[in-house]
Amino acid sequence: MNDDGTAHDATLEDAARRLGAGAADRLDVERTVQAVLTRLREEPRVPLRAAWAWSRPAWLKIAAALVIVAGAGVVTRGVRQTPSGAAAPVETVDLSDMSAPQLRELLRTVEQPGTQEPVSSQDVGLEDLSPAQLRTLLASLEMET
Amino acid sequence: MPPAEPVAAVPSPTDAALIAAWQGGDEQAAAELVRRHARALARFLAGAGAPEEDLDDLVQETFIRAFRAVGSFRGQCRFRTWLLTIGGNVLKDAHRRAKRSRVVPLGDDVRSTDGDPHERAVAAEAEKRLGDGLRRLPRLQREVFLLRAQQGLEYDEIAAALGTTPGAARVHYHHAVKRLKEYVK
Repeated sequence: MNDDGTAHDATLEDAARRLGAGAADRLDVERTVQAVLTRLREEPRVPLRAAWAWSRPAWLKIAAALVIVAGAGVVTRGVRQTPSGAAAPVETVDLSDMSAPQLRELLRTVEQPGTQEPVSSQDVGLEDLSPAQLRTLLASLEMET
Repeated sequence: MPPAEPVAAVPSPTDAALIAAWQGGDEQAAAELVRRHARALARFLAGAGAPEEDLDDLVQETFIRAFRAVGSFRGQCRFRTWLLTIGGNVLKDAHRRAKRSRVVPLGDDVRSTDGDPHERAVAAEAEKRLGDGLRRLPRLQREVFLLRAQQGLEYDEIAAALGTTPGAARVHYHHAVKRLKEYVK
């Protein structure tokens, strides 16, 4: 790791190499093997439909986030467009009634230019995403469909 | 009687071959993959803050998830690296469930009676501070640091596993080292 300029810090590297070694040595690997095999036998592979059902909460979160963003957009637009200062009536958005083109139009409506940020799926949950990141995620999902 | 021919060492099957065998229904292939990678996975999880009493369960859960999802493994990195990233997700889920942080117990290596007592104490203190420091890092920095410093992986491999670029992985590592030095020195 000389290229990191950290080779001089032997203490840190030594500690990093030792970290967890004792606990790992105490792991009973054969017992782990048997436990894993038992679980693989007892828990049948999840069929595709069940996997879809498992992932549904994520889609529900996305839909909920979309409704919130769309609602906020509609409210903001209504307030801006009412000359007298009175807020225009807000229509309820029901995504299940919308067609794919309508959903795309909705996404374009809520999209704010110049605020896209790269989103990594590795270490964030939906609750960790900013509104801009959520919009980017939704746009990428739309492109996949 | 002709001289006996030297017995050629039978090469152990690659991870890819074992994965293919497991997908074909060979249970022993799965067992061999567990034997091959369980300790490295346990080290990674312990380094990332897994309590030792939960280590066996976390290792099992990681392998179960990996075997269930192995069809999505495209060989973008080594199987072990992919497994470690799944372990990181398993640990994150476990922490969310626990809703509380726990202290990583010191291993026997730290409590070892070998060597100079002063050096042992210094090493133990450094390891404890490193563990404390790792728990304070953002998850990505912590995982990049462990994959690099503990597992000895190259940035290309880390980046492929974490879905980022080698340059970004290098930056995460440097940020992690900078912060960890504050704890360890």
